Amino acid sequence: MSAETAQHPGAARVGIGGPVGSGKTALLEQLIPRFAVRGTRLAVITNDLVTKEDAERLRRSGLIAPERVLAVEAGACPHTVIREDPTLNLDAADLLEQRFSPLDLILLESGGDNLASTFSLELVDYWLFVIDVAGGGDIPRKKGPGVVQADLLIINKPDLAPHVGVDLEAMVAEARAVRGDRLVLVTNCRSGEGVDAVVAAIGRDVLFDAAS
Amino acid sequence: MLKFDTILGLAGDPALHERLHGLEHRGAVETIVLEPRDMARHRLRATTDKGTDCAIALARDTMLEDGAVLLLDEARAIVVRSAVQRWLALVPRDAAAALELGYHAGNLHWRVHFEGARLMVALEGPEAAYLERVAAFLEDGRVRRADG
Ligand SMILES: Nc1nc2c(ncn2[C@@H]2O[C@H](COP(=O)(O)OP(=O)(O)O)[C@@H](O)[C@H]2O)c(=O)[nH]1
Ligand SMILES: [Mg+2]
Repeated sequence: MSAETAQHPGAARVGIGGPVGSGKTALLEQLIPRFAVRGTRLAVITNDLVTKEDAERLRRSGLIAPERVLAVEAGACPHTVIREDPTLNLDAADLLEQRFSPLDLILLESGGDNLASTFSLELVDYWLFVIDVAGGGDIPRKKGPGVVQADLLIINKPDLAPHVGVDLEAMVAEARAVRGDRLVLVTNCRSGEGVDAVVAAIGRDVLFDAAS
Repeated sequence: MLKFDTILGLAGDPALHERLHGLEHRGAVETIVLEPRDMARHRLRATTDKGTDCAIALARDTMLEDGAVLLLDEARAIVVRSAVQRWLALVPRDAAAALELGYHAGNLHWRVHFEGARLMVALEGPEAAYLERVAAFLEDGRVRRADG
């Protein structure tokens, strides 16, 4: 039946979407060392609009071998390369799998989009959508497809709530209400608070950790 | 947790059908029901109707299908079923409304198909969330719902 086959099924592919500045790269910087600790063999793809800034930032971070970070330039339309025509990203993922085989996980940061963007399930197995408190407490209520459909919604920058007059608890409750039984987590990607739960969710749902 | 990385065949395949049928009589066929959009996944964790925890990781060129058999042995079988796609049928009042509605639906990246004068929107979440996005159209009569 489910006998171990010799062939490695390939790396899980996880997308990280969300508006520009919500903290996607900061989340990556928190996730990478945590996956390293648990022995997950990792590579990263960034989608920048016209530069390779996020890729360069990660390569210089010392958190991951620089060659394990690939940049795909998304051009003016960041959602096209993660949904309608993910060819560039699929090629990048295949290339990483060839070069660093066997890989367990490829994390793919989207170039930053509006709230309507979603990932193609041809490209990723699971995707996160990162919004932040400073973007406004009413974001969940607007029910953007990213907020509603992502496998995991992350509300980042809880530390800013008092400064921008957002009621964090109400924002989280509203997010849970529009998402039914899909997961919502709060992270602070500067301090790392809440990030372990993100690792646990990815571990359970696509790396197939035994139930804890 | 049971791990699967291949599809053995489809439940309707003559080669599998008889064995499945036998197991069915003994109540030993478990199903995993997936939303239509989740059928596009290559890797997912899912629970059968009998509570068996399953980890599915298929090769990138393999697709799940309605009736995909993941497990078939003497004791039991596990079959994937696609839930029926739900649609929202919208009828624009006139050409102007149709242009507007089409543009709007495109902006929202809704998955649609056209059925004569109807715009059929694939529901990938609660229907209320979709209705809310066209509330203005429905309110002033530019668009109405067609049921059935
Ligand atoms: N206060 C606060 N700032 C954060 C947090 N997470 C990220 N940031 C800051 O938000 C800015 C944008 O983050 P970045 O990761 O580049 O956003 P991206 O465009 O989504 O990749 C940076 O200056 C981060 O330091 C957080 O939890 N709290
Ligand atoms: Mg970034």
